[in-house]
Amino acid sequence: MAQAAWEKPVADAPSASGRDAGKPAAAARRGERLKFLIGGLLMVGAVIFLIAQGMSAGARFFITVEETVSDPAYLGQSVRVSGAVIGETIRYDAENLIIEFEVAHVPDNIPNAGEALHQAANDPNATRMRVRVENQVKPELLQHEAQAIMTGSLDENGVFHATELNLKCPSRFIEGTVPSLGQSGT
Amino acid sequence: MLAEIGLVSLALAFIAALYAIPASVMGARVERTAWVVSGRNAALLTFPLLLIAALALMAALVGEHYEIAYVWQTTNPSTPLFYRITALWGSQQGSLLFWCVIMGAFAAAALAFNWRAYQRLMPYVIAYTMATLAFFIGLTLLLENPFARYWVSLEGTLITGVIQPAGALPIAADQWVQPDGTLVFAVNAPNADAVPLMTRLGQTANGLNPLLRHFGMIIHPPMLYLGFTGMVIPFAFAMAALASGDLSTNWIKATRRWNLTAWLFLSLGLILGGRWAYDVLGWGGYWGWDPVENAAFLPWLIGTAFIHSVMIQEKRGMLKVWNMFLVIFTFSAVIFGTFATRSGLVDSVHSFAQSAIGVPMFAFWAIMTLISVGLILYRWQRGDLKDETHRTGILSRETLFVLNNVVFVALTLAIFWGSFGAPILSELFMGTDITLGVEYFNAVTPPLFLILYLLMGIAPLSAWGAMSVGRLGRALVVPAALTVACLVVMVIFGTRLPAALVGYGAVLLAGFVAIYETARGAWARRRATGEALLAASLGIFARNRRRYGGFIVHLGISVIGIGVIGSTLYQQETQRTLNVGGSLTLGDYTVRYDGLDAGQIAEDGRVMDIANLTVLRDGAEVAQIRPRHDLFPGDGAMNSMNIAGAHSTLETDVYVLLVGWDTDAAPGRESATFKVYVNPLINLVWWGGLVLILGTLISVAPQDSLPSRVRAQVTGTKRAGAAA
Repeated sequence: MAQAAWEKPVADAPSASGRDAGKPAAAARRGERLKFLIGGLLMVGAVIFLIAQGMSAGARFFITVEETVSDPAYLGQSVRVSGAVIGETIRYDAENLIIEFEVAHVPDNIPNAGEALHQAANDPNATRMRVRVENQVKPELLQHEAQAIMTGSLDENGVFHATELNLKCPSRFIEGTVPSLGQSGT
Repeated sequence: MLAEIGLVSLALAFIAALYAIPASVMGARVERTAWVVSGRNAALLTFPLLLIAALALMAALVGEHYEIAYVWQTTNPSTPLFYRITALWGSQQGSLLFWCVIMGAFAAAALAFNWRAYQRLMPYVIAYTMATLAFFIGLTLLLENPFARYWVSLEGTLITGVIQPAGALPIAADQWVQPDGTLVFAVNAPNADAVPLMTRLGQTANGLNPLLRHFGMIIHPPMLYLGFTGMVIPFAFAMAALASGDLSTNWIKATRRWNLTAWLFLSLGLILGGRWAYDVLGWGGYWGWDPVENAAFLPWLIGTAFIHSVMIQEKRGMLKVWNMFLVIFTFSAVIFGTFATRSGLVDSVHSFAQSAIGVPMFAFWAIMTLISVGLILYRWQRGDLKDETHRTGILSRETLFVLNNVVFVALTLAIFWGSFGAPILSELFMGTDITLGVEYFNAVTPPLFLILYLLMGIAPLSAWGAMSVGRLGRALVVPAALTVACLVVMVIFGTRLPAALVGYGAVLLAGFVAIYETARGAWARRRATGEALLAASLGIFARNRRRYGGFIVHLGISVIGIGVIGSTLYQQETQRTLNVGGSLTLGDYTVRYDGLDAGQIAEDGRVMDIANLTVLRDGAEVAQIRPRHDLFPGDGAMNSMNIAGAHSTLETDVYVLLVGWDTDAAPGRESATFKVYVNPLINLVWWGGLVLILGTLISVAPQDSLPSRVRAQVTGTKRAGAAA
């Protein structure tokens, strides 16, 4: 059936007999290609510019607790840090929404993430760092041996001021756990 | 027994999928129809076999078979029946099996519906769908088996295995656990304190992660899986076209509905995921540019580009190579997203645990992408993918659609780079890990979305082939005037942020164009046919569901855009500790604390502390809300969660979290601390999602190719012939 009146018809593109009358068809095609090429390049340039601008605003080193506290280059710089939460250090001021806790350096030579977090949180010799998070409700996952991924900066007193705190609890999420028969609950 | 049934079904499905690949391809190559039919039958068999396996696991979950490790990990005796069923996709192994079932269902449906019409393509469609399915069944069977069980070793400890380890025993009624955890074998209880091992397993079982006990999270994974697996069908047809040499628009016609259906489910999955995050994660937002969220968004973006660009191939015979690349990269994004979520590649609140499936999944993704790109290059250098039309005007609809595609691809690449590219490459080549935070996404994506909305407004007004500036300008007059009028009203009512006004301008223009074009269509039909306006409106949808369903989708996306701009740029938040009777004010709203109902026990055993709040506006009470803190049975700190209380209107959400309370005060008199958000227009995000779904359903609905009058005549003639 023919196209209905209220639908847009397929029109002929400008051809050599129309606007470009007199020009050879190949030259007209080259001109069109050039327009598309310039347009395309402008688009690519704009996207690259946007990405570069975004990276300058949002790029951060993702480093360990040890690197954060031992390398002065990171002092005051916005970085992302991963560490194991030490449960007994967690303090929560619900009235002012301030969370304070310590994280331990997680060794990278243990392939099992859960085991690495367990060792880090229970090793008294592991490098530790104090963390302070303001204006945030205490996350349910903030507990002993949880993996904390924090964005923020270290101050001169050795306190890491986190503006963003994400947590992952390996004891719960790592599959393949064998039940312990001696106790109920996990 | 259930584990055995599941295992055998899964293994048979794996064999059937593997058999279907060579049978169908060889059948096509040597032109032996019987082989192809045999391959098809094997492919069709995979779905019932996988369904049996899933039902066996579901029966184990419902029947509390804690000797199956998956059941122990995802449920416990206090888990309600509903969550026992949904635990099927509550963790890695079960959700992989569920993925396979849905993939099997899509493959079976595609074969059943398209078998007769596209016989030349079908052998290769079977091969590609079954290769994908076999890979995922293989992962489930060999690396992440949901039917792995606990066995008792000779030393009296529990070990996990899919099949019975040498010397180990299955868990049985004659095994008892002493209070110190030692295991003894006896027909009857050895002493009063001993409990049967089966009972002990139930007592120690994990239970479903509380964060997953939410309607959005129950339905969000199935929707995403439906979207992900559905995208495999267009990919399989595209690859079948390349492999068979049938490079007409057949594969596009065959896959249009599959593509839209998958896109619909993917959209639903994303919207529900956002709703879950808003309700459960307690940060007052719904999208955090988390890598796993982004991994699900990437196939949606490329899939949307593909939906637009196939129209150009259908109408103008252009972009054949581009469409092939888009369909490959949509599939590639699906597999990469699944890999990123399930491999432990990224740290995310949404991701599964680290697992062994990362390397094989990456290998499968790389191999399938390379084979597909190789096939395109082969056909391209043979000249089989030449465009039928080359000339097009700079303002033609196809040019604007191409621009739309370029922006979609740019968005996809920018989000991929921010989520995966920069972190992975920096680690590989710089020896350090660089991550890109929310600031990156907030800087890069808004300008690109702005261009998309502008194109969404302009492109539908253009024509295929060519369009003059004057004609396009005239078509834009009414929607642009309506947009300007709305912006003026907004400014009068206090919207002054330039970013908001620019964003609203683009979004409103797209929405008004969708409404205007639909109204124009209805008026034109009314003039042409003399029908009433309502009948004419319904008539245009019946006549061209694809076009007008598409406008409804655009309208939905515009409504979502208004919600996103309002809730992002105008969100307000505060927190305060209140005594009973105290109140706080935020924006136009006052929240009064009326008291605490502490220690309420729910049916599933959770302990709830519930705050009673009254929301007031201009001094008048408008709602009672009850934010609460739930503590689930078990002693883990993460067995608790905050459930926000919200007063929702189309205009605003008053969203309150109970974040602390004084446990030493007299019952009902406890002071409590609240975090309060006012999120303007946020509900338009969900309502826009519903409009989008409605539009997609209209677009995807079957359309009669003949008018009913003609159809009735043809049917009548046939009947008459048959009677004669």
